[in-house]
Amino acid sequence: MNALAPLFQDDFKDFPLKRALSQVIKKRDAGSKVVGAYCSYAPVEVIWAMGGVPAILCAFSNTPIAKAEETLPANLCPLIKSSFGFIELKTCPFFELTDAVVGETTCDGKKKMFELIEKHRPLYVMDLPQCPTNEGAVTYWRHSVNGFKKFLEEKFDTTISNEALEDSIKDCNRKNRLVQEIFGFGACKPSVITWQEMYEVSTFAMVSNGEETISKLQEILAILTERSRQGVYCSKENAKRVLITGCPVGGDVLKVLKLVDEEGATIVGLDSCTGLKPYLGAIEENSGDSLLAIAKRYLQIPCACMTPNTGRFDVLKKQVDSLKPDLVIDLVLQSCHTYNVEAVKVESFVRDDLGTNYLKVVTDFSQQDLGQLKTRIAAALEMN
Amino acid sequence: MGVNIKLAGIDIGSRSIEFVLLDAEHFEVIDRFQAETCIDLSSQLNSINERFTWDRLVSTGYGRQLSQKVLGGEVITEIKAYATSAHQFYPTIETVIDLGGQDTKALFINQKNGQLQKFEMNDKCSAGTGKFFEMMAASLGLTLDQLVAAAMNGKKSIEINSTCTVFAESEVISLLTSGVALEDIARALHEALLNKLVSLLSKVMKHDSSEILFVGGGAKNSALVHFLAEAINKKVVVPEYPDFYGAFGAAINAKSLNKFL
Repeated sequence: MNALAPLFQDDFKDFPLKRALSQVIKKRDAGSKVVGAYCSYAPVEVIWAMGGVPAILCAFSNTPIAKAEETLPANLCPLIKSSFGFIELKTCPFFELTDAVVGETTCDGKKKMFELIEKHRPLYVMDLPQCPTNEGAVTYWRHSVNGFKKFLEEKFDTTISNEALEDSIKDCNRKNRLVQEIFGFGACKPSVITWQEMYEVSTFAMVSNGEETISKLQEILAILTERSRQGVYCSKENAKRVLITGCPVGGDVLKVLKLVDEEGATIVGLDSCTGLKPYLGAIEENSGDSLLAIAKRYLQIPCACMTPNTGRFDVLKKQVDSLKPDLVIDLVLQSCHTYNVEAVKVESFVRDDLGTNYLKVVTDFSQQDLGQLKTRIAAALEMN
Repeated sequence: MGVNIKLAGIDIGSRSIEFVLLDAEHFEVIDRFQAETCIDLSSQLNSINERFTWDRLVSTGYGRQLSQKVLGGEVITEIKAYATSAHQFYPTIETVIDLGGQDTKALFINQKNGQLQKFEMNDKCSAGTGKFFEMMAASLGLTLDQLVAAAMNGKKSIEINSTCTVFAESEVISLLTSGVALEDIARALHEALLNKLVSLLSKVMKHDSSEILFVGGGAKNSALVHFLAEAINKKVVVPEYPDFYGAFGAAINAKSLNKFL
């Protein structure tokens, strides 16, 4: 394996969150309002259309959890506790930069946590219909998107025009297509892109837009094309291939991905909200109703909070077909009931319909289960 | 491979170390060694290195990485090790349960080719493992053997709901102070752990399996074996040296691992 030319040649190598932070600060210094968001359902096109910048507030560090548990119950999802703990400690750089925050009613823990933070920032909670295919769901969700738009307009005394929304949709579609293409390199065998790089791209693209971003992503595509052409690989030829699905990952829960590396396997896809999921699909352009077009696309995001969540299985099938993993790891954060229960269906789908080995891992942000995780992951990779 | 080739397998668990030497031809036991896991594992491994000789070695269990550093050879997980030895010695059994010091594992093996098809492990804490029995015996002022004997004489009169050693201890103490017979408490402790085993097994076991293999130190608990057979209504097979199955599997893998070829 030759040395890989880095995808990002800047001061933030191995620190994707610091890079994202610098992007947000850059936009803020140029006069953009910073709107904090908690998940992929936040329609960032509306924020961009206002000339704002989104900042992702989901946290993955174990450090603030003790603080959070002074207020929140211990048996709550670590992502919610970590995000809340950071706010209490005033140590989340992203939250500290925000001018307003948008939340979505995805899971119970999050929506009740929003009530506890609304004293800190102007907050808009979008009511997300959770039976996305039911009659009226899209129309209802359009009301939420419109409500969010009005909230931004009132809060920042501005108007978000239809033209601005359309431009923003087109810009995001372009960006998303490029991110999809980049993740598509996961199909190469041996691998030409590492999970660290996929995570860097996903984190960067979330808070970036415009021509500069498009050229950066095109540059990354060129590097990957070159690696593939020259045979510059980042895995061994016969390395076992792993697709990561499930809850979002980052920070301390990257322990699971690092354990896969330690076993000599290669991660070929990140299917979750900190990977490819927010960039999938496209918003209809020039539809005549930009808000409806946005609402339609966002309601197609296959999160386990939805029922039925058929999109998850469609995406998994596509990813398994193209990435050809030997193992699918379904990473469930402790107390995330929706992903944990959905794992029952995911397991039988992956094993029986896709004929691929499957491992569910339930974990939190602590290091206490490293030994057991290592054994489980190693054992799953020893199979077949 | 010649008849004189000696295969070594070592299983370093949280409570004990098992080491075996097998002949590569028939997998017959040449030597066996067992000890409690020491804090100074490296010295313990060095003494094994001085005492035994082998041609190939595979380490398994929680201490496998350190063992590889000290003794060389290759590593496999205990899950693969158990699947290998179970299929080698009981090729018609497809379900295996291992009750170890800090882990419980249930395995489903394809009996046609011996490949592991599925496995489940207990949660990250020691609830529902061998450690639980040790702690509970201590809370009752009994040895492990006494706890097992008491359970055989106990009635199913009460329930202990927790397999968390901390919570179960408070339950045990309050039952003792309310005058419940020690035998019934011992029985209830076994039933509590049994529920865990059954739930783990049911995630991998086929309904039409007629028997399961019970390995690991926990399989030496005759009361538990008896209650488990009753609970799942299947034959529970306990091999002669259930606690050596990890080491056996490691040694058998030493013959076939590609890494050696």
